[in-house]
Amino acid sequence: MTDSRDAKNNHLLAALPDAEWQRWLPQLERVEMPLGEVLYEADKTLEHVYFPTSAIVSLLYVMENGASAEIAVVGNEGLVGISLFMGGESTPSRAVVQSAGQGFRLEAQTMKDEFGRAGPVMHLLLRYTQALITQMAQTAVCNRHHSLDQQLCRWLLLSLDRLQGSELVMTQELIANMLGVRREGVTEGALKLQEAGLIRYARGRISVLDRPGLERRTCECYAVVKKEYDRLLPVKLAT
Amino acid sequence: MMGLEEYNESPMIAPPRHVCAPRQNQLLAALPDAEWNRWQADLQLVDLRQGQVLSESGTVPVYAYFPTTAIVSLLYLTQEGASTEIAVVGNDGVVGFSLFMGGNATPSQAVVQHAGQAYRVRARAVKNEVNRAGPMLAILLRYTQLMMTQMAQTAACNRYHSINQQLCRRLLLGLDRLPVGELVMTQELLARLLGVRRESVTVAALKLQQAGVIRYRRGRIHVLDRQRLEQCTCECYTPARKEYNAPPSLRPALLAA
Repeated sequence: MTDSRDAKNNHLLAALPDAEWQRWLPQLERVEMPLGEVLYEADKTLEHVYFPTSAIVSLLYVMENGASAEIAVVGNEGLVGISLFMGGESTPSRAVVQSAGQGFRLEAQTMKDEFGRAGPVMHLLLRYTQALITQMAQTAVCNRHHSLDQQLCRWLLLSLDRLQGSELVMTQELIANMLGVRREGVTEGALKLQEAGLIRYARGRISVLDRPGLERRTCECYAVVKKEYDRLLPVKLAT
Repeated sequence: MMGLEEYNESPMIAPPRHVCAPRQNQLLAALPDAEWNRWQADLQLVDLRQGQVLSESGTVPVYAYFPTTAIVSLLYLTQEGASTEIAVVGNDGVVGFSLFMGGNATPSQAVVQHAGQAYRVRARAVKNEVNRAGPMLAILLRYTQLMMTQMAQTAACNRYHSINQQLCRRLLLGLDRLPVGELVMTQELLARLLGVRRESVTVAALKLQQAGVIRYRRGRIHVLDRQRLEQCTCECYTPARKEYNAPPSLRPALLAA
């Protein structure tokens, strides 16, 4: 049986009206989401939709040569698998667990049926998707106009917002893959942040020491996305 | 259905003009007949001029637009005034996703990038479709998913590919949404859309011209060799759908009734 308190650590699940929550609860399956696990591959049909509670998932756009670029981050504010209700069934992106943790999942058909009821769930999920669109668009802008240092700060802040503590378990290799840059660039950027006393980086663990400092150093892209997420989610749903 | 119609209802008042039928827009074309009949009355033909802002960042759009011959850019502006186009919408789509997604406003701006026509519909009518949750909503959502793919590709492309490749991609995206092989675009505009310096666009365009792929004169880009353009671009270019397959309805049971 699902521990309901755990599931409600996901903001979308927590925002469900009572009737929906009661209906969903027996269907929600708790899952471990270990670092590096691929939840779905590009162009493959989705079998589940995932609601992270403590894990963070990266949506990566994968190029033909295997290089990838992160287009969005999903944590306990959201869900992975929007194409199930948007209608595409599959997406061009790969979803990979970027910070280990837990989550809950629902079967694809259940998700479709719930969305198809055209009630509060549908409105909630659409608003979430709009927030996700903002994040993706802002990533495109950021990739074009901002420095790697700024992007690194943005990325750390987006992750931090989705974590319970202030420590990320993360190799520079992984960050480089996410940002789609060379590892050396990340090393250099991380070193600068460490020297400025903003983070401490040791053995694949990044501790954020000065969050306001990171916010001052990042580009506007972080604030734009944050503001949209705050505006659009979570929603007070009418029953 | 794809042909031009002569608009001659009131030739004495206004000179006749070529008007594209609303269903030149592929989303409108994909509507089942019953839905189309209901929608038809709400559609209003508008001429859009280049540079016209259809919706500002942070404001609620008054209308959603279904372009037939116009092309609209979704642009993001940074605080320093730099811009990046994140998606291109032509007769393959709709401008105004925030109306049916429920957030109303977006941080992006919708600007007409290629003059032409569109059919617009009031925000209220779009919102009603959400509650109806019928085929129109399904079509709008499916399109939004495609638009997200375009955004993701833009993000990846901005990261990995050369300006030459990006220029080719951008020309193809425009070309797919036009009935002719000629784009009206200054290098200044292209630079703003790609979010790069104008000089970079000049260099890239010159290369394409020298290779006989395009001819560039006075703000008009004539594509001479589309195939070469496709070879020169990166994998981030996905052809716009020529035909839009209506997705299965959200609530087939209700529709069958």
